[in-house]
Amino acid sequence: MLTFILRRVLSGVILILVITIIAYTLLYLGSGNIARTILGQNASEELVAQKAAELGLDRPLIIQFLDWAGSAITGDLGRSWFNGQLVSVQLASRLSVTLSIVIGAIVITAIVSTILGILAARRGGAVDGTVQFISIVGFAIPGFLIALFLVLIFAINLHWFKATGYIPITTSFTGWLSSVTLPIIALSIGGIATISQQVRGSVLDGLSRDYVRTLRSRGLSSNRVVYKHVLRNAGGPALALLAVSFVGMIGGAVIVEQIFALPGIGSLTVTATAAGDIPVVMGLVIVYAVIAVVVNLLIDLAQAALNPKVRLS
Amino acid sequence: MIRWKKAAAAAAIAVTTALAVTACAGGGTDGGGGDSATGGTLTLGGFLAPTTFDPAGSEWGNRSPFYQSVYDTLLLGTPDGEIEPWLASEWSYNEDNTVLTLTLRDDVTFTDGSKLTADVVVANLQRFKDGTAPSAGNFAQVTSFEAPDESTVVITMEAPNPAMLSYLSREPGLIASGEALDNPDDLATTPVGSGPYVLDTAATVTGTTYVYTKNADYWNPDVQHYDGITINILSDPTAALNAIKAGEANGVKLANNDALTEVEGAGWTVSAVELDFQGILLLDRAGSMDPALGDVKVRQAINYAFDRAGLLTALQADHGTVTTQVFPTSSDAYDPELDSYYDYDPEKAKELLAEAGYPDGLEISMPTVSVLSPASYALVAQQLADVGITVKATDVPIGNFIADLLAPKYPASLMSLEQNPDWQLINFMIAPNAIFNPFKYQDPQVDEYIQQIQFGDEATQASVVRELNTYIVEQAWFAPFYRIEGSFATDANTNVVLSTTNAYPAIYEFTPKQ
Repeated sequence: MLTFILRRVLSGVILILVITIIAYTLLYLGSGNIARTILGQNASEELVAQKAAELGLDRPLIIQFLDWAGSAITGDLGRSWFNGQLVSVQLASRLSVTLSIVIGAIVITAIVSTILGILAARRGGAVDGTVQFISIVGFAIPGFLIALFLVLIFAINLHWFKATGYIPITTSFTGWLSSVTLPIIALSIGGIATISQQVRGSVLDGLSRDYVRTLRSRGLSSNRVVYKHVLRNAGGPALALLAVSFVGMIGGAVIVEQIFALPGIGSLTVTATAAGDIPVVMGLVIVYAVIAVVVNLLIDLAQAALNPKVRLS
Repeated sequence: MIRWKKAAAAAAIAVTTALAVTACAGGGTDGGGGDSATGGTLTLGGFLAPTTFDPAGSEWGNRSPFYQSVYDTLLLGTPDGEIEPWLASEWSYNEDNTVLTLTLRDDVTFTDGSKLTADVVVANLQRFKDGTAPSAGNFAQVTSFEAPDESTVVITMEAPNPAMLSYLSREPGLIASGEALDNPDDLATTPVGSGPYVLDTAATVTGTTYVYTKNADYWNPDVQHYDGITINILSDPTAALNAIKAGEANGVKLANNDALTEVEGAGWTVSAVELDFQGILLLDRAGSMDPALGDVKVRQAINYAFDRAGLLTALQADHGTVTTQVFPTSSDAYDPELDSYYDYDPEKAKELLAEAGYPDGLEISMPTVSVLSPASYALVAQQLADVGITVKATDVPIGNFIADLLAPKYPASLMSLEQNPDWQLINFMIAPNAIFNPFKYQDPQVDEYIQQIQFGDEATQASVVRELNTYIVEQAWFAPFYRIEGSFATDANTNVVLSTTNAYPAIYEFTPKQ
């Protein structure tokens, strides 16, 4: 188990290295005159040149990258070129916002997909048809459209939830709920659509197996059979999909954060990339890469826990 | 068993609904949208966050409310653009307008208890001059800041600067506590000023929400209309519109005029002021890159080629006023006749081109950028093509656009620019070293006008700047289309008076409706 984890961590580190090199190069090539963007159109050319020299923008790409990488390894991600704040501080405060909606969305997705999938597989008939319909609708409609729809109905018309802004859970639990419920629902719909179908298929497949018949013939209740035995076998593919969904949700969070004006890393990514705030964007790249690696590692561990056959590979 | 599952599902739904209902109760009181009756919280929406709270790095425009809430400026700029006393109770120039003497109020204390003295003011002004704020160059020609006594500040300049008083009513005039200046790193996140409100750093989330509470010891309680101010950054126009419709703010700056009917439909009031103009900057007036533009007849022909009223309707839904001058209506230079000096006359345009030696038309190279709508470029190209001028368009990435324009890489470009007060406008677009005069074009008549304005008294300035305006319109230095309305929305509980010289209204101008 330990070598398993170590190997995954090592490949994760190499992945992060490659990603940072590619990202830095793309930023360098694509950001235009960053000093001018920082100072705006009213500043004189001399001031712009002074700013560019101050930020080290006139040095070759390799030197700039090595300079950044050298500090990053020691944990110093530098300061934002646009507001002078420490990148690590900004990322930490915003990460909690994004994680609260993404983790919330994953939990809701997992629970609802399982319930819907099992319902569809066991009941069949009209229930199955309804769940399939819900899936298709959730799959076809883009997340941001659902988000706008939810805001219109539940925030603007009914005033049940907030339309914009984020209230930290430490300030007020009900306030936090009112600000994250709609974003979480918006993020979950797509995942529920796919994963519920996956669960349905796996459970149906499991229920037709011989061992299920054997267990039932030994007197186990059908609930026990489903929840203790079939689900465990069906869990593997569903977990893999969940991992993919998680990463997809981090991306989906970008749009949801814009629409709901949530101060998360998604909205930071948009503004920092558009502006060319390289220290912040590189910090974000590392965060995203680490999240992807960690999530995949956790899912792999969960798979190994569920299915002993996986542990051997 | 199945009944248990149904019961569990029903329980889950009940719990979620209960939480939602309590969240509704929580959500209603959070956000402070409704209560702005006398003394409540004013909730504002803006789309640009401040980059630092250090006055030496500050900017005005859409960032002004963040600084104005917590700092005072030396002088006050009224909504009409007049200058009135603020931290400085009186001021006077010497004979040749090179020495400005200001007298400070003696009853001002900062929120850390320290007093406002001339030394503190001088320290602030010097820091701004030496700093990297985009407007640091405003003090470029200042030779010294002095404090001969506790309440007198003396600013000595190389040459008269007609805009100096205006600068002191904006970010160069922001005064932070003298003791706070010793810790610039703290000052960047924790401002210490003398202003009407104090930043609540615990409740503030940088880049998203800024919370201010009333300064109980403020020297001018008459302008403190609220117990607190919250400014939320709503950079996405959809999020801003949703905040308006859900009543989660009292005043929101609108990025464009696309959703005005929806805003008014939600019961809000839209106020507008014309701050920017849009049109073509004919930068290469000497013809060094494009010889054709060096001929005034060609530039005039371009001015005759545009159906300005049609463009205003198509591109701004009539939210603006057609014009052919770049000076704003609040300026002494403004002449209503010059709003329509060039009418829409393609035939005349072709005539002028033929007279200039281009009977078969010509080609102009212009950049395009994603900030301005593709429709604008298409219409411009079409109207120019109708008089025989072909536009050779080059798409420029947004990060390079201004830099390329100022390099200069193009002889002309479509652009939206702010219509500043006179001296600022001259130094921004007209003077030989103006930022938006990248070809450094110089004209002896214009030079003379600029001299007279710089060294003249107020009456001379007023009349000469009008002559200057007329001259550059006749000489077709630019081809403006229209002034654009910049809109600000307020809810049913809030009144605001917009500024004619700034994108965001002054904090002092928001009042609750009685």
